[in-house]
Amino acid sequence: MQIFRQNQHGSHYDRSSSPINIKGMQDSKPDISEETLRHWLVAVANHRDKSAFRALFDHFGPKVRSFGMSRLAQQGLAMDLVQETLTTVWTKAHLFDTDRGNVSTWVYAIMRNQCFDMLRRVQHNREDAFGDDIWPLFDVDTHAGDHGDHKLDALLNQYLSKLPKLQREVVLGIYLQELSQQELADRLGVPLGTIKSRLRLGLEKLKSLLEKHHD
Amino acid sequence: MIKHHPSDEMLLAHAAGETVLGLAIALSAHCELCPACAAKVEHFQHKLAMHHLPLPDQTSEAARSGAISESVSKGSVDQSGVASGDSAWNSSWDSSWESQDNSLDSLFDAITATPAASAVETSAHDCSTVSLATEVKGFSYSLPKAFRSFVANPALASSWSGIGHVSRMRLDTRDGKARSSLLHIAAGGEIPEHTHKGQEITLLLHGHFSDEMGDYAPGDFMVTDARHQHTPKTLDGCLCFTVVDAPLHFTKGLSKLLNPIGELIY
Ligand SMILES: [Zn+2]
Repeated sequence: MQIFRQNQHGSHYDRSSSPINIKGMQDSKPDISEETLRHWLVAVANHRDKSAFRALFDHFGPKVRSFGMSRLAQQGLAMDLVQETLTTVWTKAHLFDTDRGNVSTWVYAIMRNQCFDMLRRVQHNREDAFGDDIWPLFDVDTHAGDHGDHKLDALLNQYLSKLPKLQREVVLGIYLQELSQQELADRLGVPLGTIKSRLRLGLEKLKSLLEKHHD
Repeated sequence: MIKHHPSDEMLLAHAAGETVLGLAIALSAHCELCPACAAKVEHFQHKLAMHHLPLPDQTSEAARSGAISESVSKGSVDQSGVASGDSAWNSSWDSSWESQDNSLDSLFDAITATPAASAVETSAHDCSTVSLATEVKGFSYSLPKAFRSFVANPALASSWSGIGHVSRMRLDTRDGKARSSLLHIAAGGEIPEHTHKGQEITLLLHGHFSDEMGDYAPGDFMVTDARHQHTPKTLDGCLCFTVVDAPLHFTKGLSKLLNPIGELIY
């Protein structure tokens, strides 16, 4: 079963038909946009594309090292931070939802989590790691329920992740957190009618996604 | 309904990873219960990402915002009295990055030799669908994900203990003076009137309690200090997470540059 959506977007990055001139981008002052980063990440996710990863490595590497120097104040540790951060980018690229997330923000979160743990490691000489528990790197995680059927949950999570954020929030609030519509309206500070309509739209979308799946 | 939230400054320090562990857990747990604060932290994270990991064309965009961007464009923030920050490194390190070609290539090779994380293995940790809970006085309480490493790990958390209505589980967060605990007050319980020596953070996770100042519901995040004197009591029983003597002055770093916070928040 395809759990992770990125796989379905292989066509975003097709090296043969729309080559990205990575080398050229590095030579002159690069013209890197969020879009470029996303293409590289998708290429890594779908094809384990090393040249795309090299471009990400060269874009983020020096910046992560600077951040590491300012926080950890040791060149060796700063390079450890580069290695840890970019290894996660390489090994987990396919788990990141490029449709919803911002690549730089995701890399920042990986770096921040690592750095948080490294600082504590330096101070306490222990191998504990808490960063990823405190700031989950993957959105799906935040909303994973505690229901029995994990397969169905994974599928539902995948579909839920396709809902617009506002609808998702309401569907999750009602069905996972078991809030009443009024409680949810109060929490989100919107009228009850808005909750009702977001819920209706969200459920309709979910239903159509599920039907498509069972065809 | 949640009425008490952490300050924007605290949420920003949280997004920057600059608080002690106990406070980070409290803030993360609050955000899991409070979509509004979760959205703020997400926003701050994005701003911080743009600051620390800028795209080539963002230097000019950033120049239009406040203190932070000044540090970006000038490469230092001396005028605010704070030692040169992270951004000063950026330009100099950017250029020395390429001069260490050999070691970079071996680093690159080492990273790309690592296999991709398997979906199964990752979902066991990152996308866990297993619920987190703790049992005290015959009740089982679900816990936010930030507690994952602590619960059921005797090396990091004590077992529940206490007398009368009040039970406590101490978490070993190694935060210096700051001490973090889960606190359970059984139905009908009351904590005798007390004040606080230092700062105290209380996050209500389950149930309700009230004191002389008002009623609190799950998700409420309170900061109390020596000026507060209160007698919390609970009718239905409650589970809280408390951090006492938490330094609310954040460690060095970005959040110090944000006085006034200005652009980063709005
Ligand atoms: Zn809040």
